[in-house]
Amino acid sequence: MSGRKLIALWLFVVSVVVALMGFWFMATRASMDYWVMAGSLILISITCYLSGVHHYLTTKNRHGRYIILYGSVVLMVAGLSIYIPDVLDLRPWEIYTRIPSDFFFSFFMLIIGILSSYVSFRPFHNFTKEGAQSGAYYIIHLSIIFTLFPLFLIMFNIITRGMGGITWEFLTEDIVSMGEKGGVYPAILGTLAMISLTAIIVLPLGVGTAIYLAEYARKGLAVRVIRTAVNILQGTPSIVHGLFGYAFFVLILFNGQKCLLAGALTLAILTLPIVTRSAEEALNAVPGELRDASLALGATKWQTIKKVVIPPSMPGILTGTVLGIGRAAGETAPIMFTAVYFSGTGTPSGLLRPIMALPYHLLSLYRLVGYRDVEPQAWATALLLLIIVLGINLSAIIVREKYRQRF
Amino acid sequence: MINKVLELLKEEKACQRISLPPGIKAKTSGFSLWYGSTKALKDINIEIKENKVTAIIGPSGCGKSTLLRCFNRMNDTIVSVRTEGNIWLDGYDIYDDVTDCVDIRRKVGMVFQKPNPFPFSIANNIYYGCQVNDMDVEKDEVVERCLKQAALWEEVKDRLSENALSLSGGQQQRLCIARALAIEPEVILMDEPCSALDPIATAKIEDLIHELKKDYTVVIVTHNMQQAARVSDYTAYMYLGELIEFGKTKQIFEKPREENTEKYITGRFG
Repeated sequence: MSGRKLIALWLFVVSVVVALMGFWFMATRASMDYWVMAGSLILISITCYLSGVHHYLTTKNRHGRYIILYGSVVLMVAGLSIYIPDVLDLRPWEIYTRIPSDFFFSFFMLIIGILSSYVSFRPFHNFTKEGAQSGAYYIIHLSIIFTLFPLFLIMFNIITRGMGGITWEFLTEDIVSMGEKGGVYPAILGTLAMISLTAIIVLPLGVGTAIYLAEYARKGLAVRVIRTAVNILQGTPSIVHGLFGYAFFVLILFNGQKCLLAGALTLAILTLPIVTRSAEEALNAVPGELRDASLALGATKWQTIKKVVIPPSMPGILTGTVLGIGRAAGETAPIMFTAVYFSGTGTPSGLLRPIMALPYHLLSLYRLVGYRDVEPQAWATALLLLIIVLGINLSAIIVREKYRQRF
Repeated sequence: MINKVLELLKEEKACQRISLPPGIKAKTSGFSLWYGSTKALKDINIEIKENKVTAIIGPSGCGKSTLLRCFNRMNDTIVSVRTEGNIWLDGYDIYDDVTDCVDIRRKVGMVFQKPNPFPFSIANNIYYGCQVNDMDVEKDEVVERCLKQAALWEEVKDRLSENALSLSGGQQQRLCIARALAIEPEVILMDEPCSALDPIATAKIEDLIHELKKDYTVVIVTHNMQQAARVSDYTAYMYLGELIEFGKTKQIFEKPREENTEKYITGRFG
């Protein structure tokens, strides 16, 4: 391996280590000395200089000048950081917080570390355009890792802590003494009953809206209003849905009685935009030529929609519905005012009777942590909820892959 | 009072009728079409002869596909379209308010530029037209008849239940022709049916058109002049939304009356 590549590799390794250190300091909020940060940044900067100068000496061209500039910027950051006060007090600006200098130091380490590892691809590929390309790929891969990292962290955390709590008794027994003993059987049944009812309500409404938007509506004011309304509905916080459900369904329709049906209706409103949008996308994915072909054979518009447009878009519609249901299964806010009572409700006993649901059970367990010994049960409930939601999403993926249609 | 209303309704229901001379299947008179404010067809007068192949040629954007799609009112799906004038089919006005598009399309089948079979089985593709029109026919018989007419039977008879998308492009296009034949139309419109096909598949479709004209009236849009010369009996040349010249194919290609036609046919522009 040539000296150029060695220097680049060294730069890469050092930057990754510095970035990880920065991340670690940020995550643990460990106090850090200025010189730890400055030292690592100076090391990076020296390596950058070395790489640029080495390139100039060996090839006599000046493609490496930008990396020298970059090294200087890093050096400047390291040098100027000493002027960051021990505690940055934002109170004079009416922002009631104090940021310790440690935060800035670890932040610089993280950012400069990531940037430098990206920059190191250029000297590695001799400052050609290939280097720019590998650098871009590196950043893309990095963003994938950053996206997946929290997911795995959460999953790992919940699985390791919740695993022990899931036993046969936990799944099949009644909730005893506010969840401290017994199982969560009524909550499982309640959640399953509610999401199935939600699916039954939301599917015709959502698909109907989507068919109207995709097939019948002419581009005009009406469509814009409906689409905007659907988008606003999607952006509405779930607690607002919950309060609406309480004010409208519970108080007006069901005489103040919280019940399964009120909860399912509220969740249906919550999932309606998801179902409508995915159904509309699925319908729009059916090529217009097929509609033309059907119309040219003397089919009416409705026959065309029923026989040519809907069948191939069914997997997409179902996937959207199932994803929406997965979202609904994990929601607490919309059901806490509309459908669930505290732990002792028992298994679902009718459309107009209250139920117990897993997310709400989890919330009530969380409130008890510290007063009673419910933490293992809370983790187990969280894991169970995670399994149900992931299971629902997995089934959506399987449906989509199995019936995927190509045109 | 009620009688008056009924009379009014009856009056409105009656479709305008003229009698076309023998041998003429369809005819346009003073037909114009606008896309929004652009006039795409300007005062077209053309006669489609029964059991003959009529080709419409012309450079891109001259309105030949638009004209073709007027014969089965496929332009209705476009919102901004406005028409003026009449198109007569067997003496009935296609563009009359009381005319039902569905009836028109049953009489006038269409084959599109790109093969567009439904993602169903081969047999169901053909049976679809009978199904949506509630035709009282045996599925197997229709499938066999249409596939034989479209010269596809020998190639696919053992895999009728396979997805139509597994066929090759040329086979798919012949399937689309077979599908159009299933509803027993009288006129078949073809919108550049060979433009997505290779020469061998094209030759097969052209042979098929020769066979079809015994039983049907065929109107074909093509930008391939050799093809127009090979398959058609009559040729219409269009330019910028106007019908420049219409006559027997032989006359159009050998002794065009208009200078513009001659220029296009000899390849000096277009």
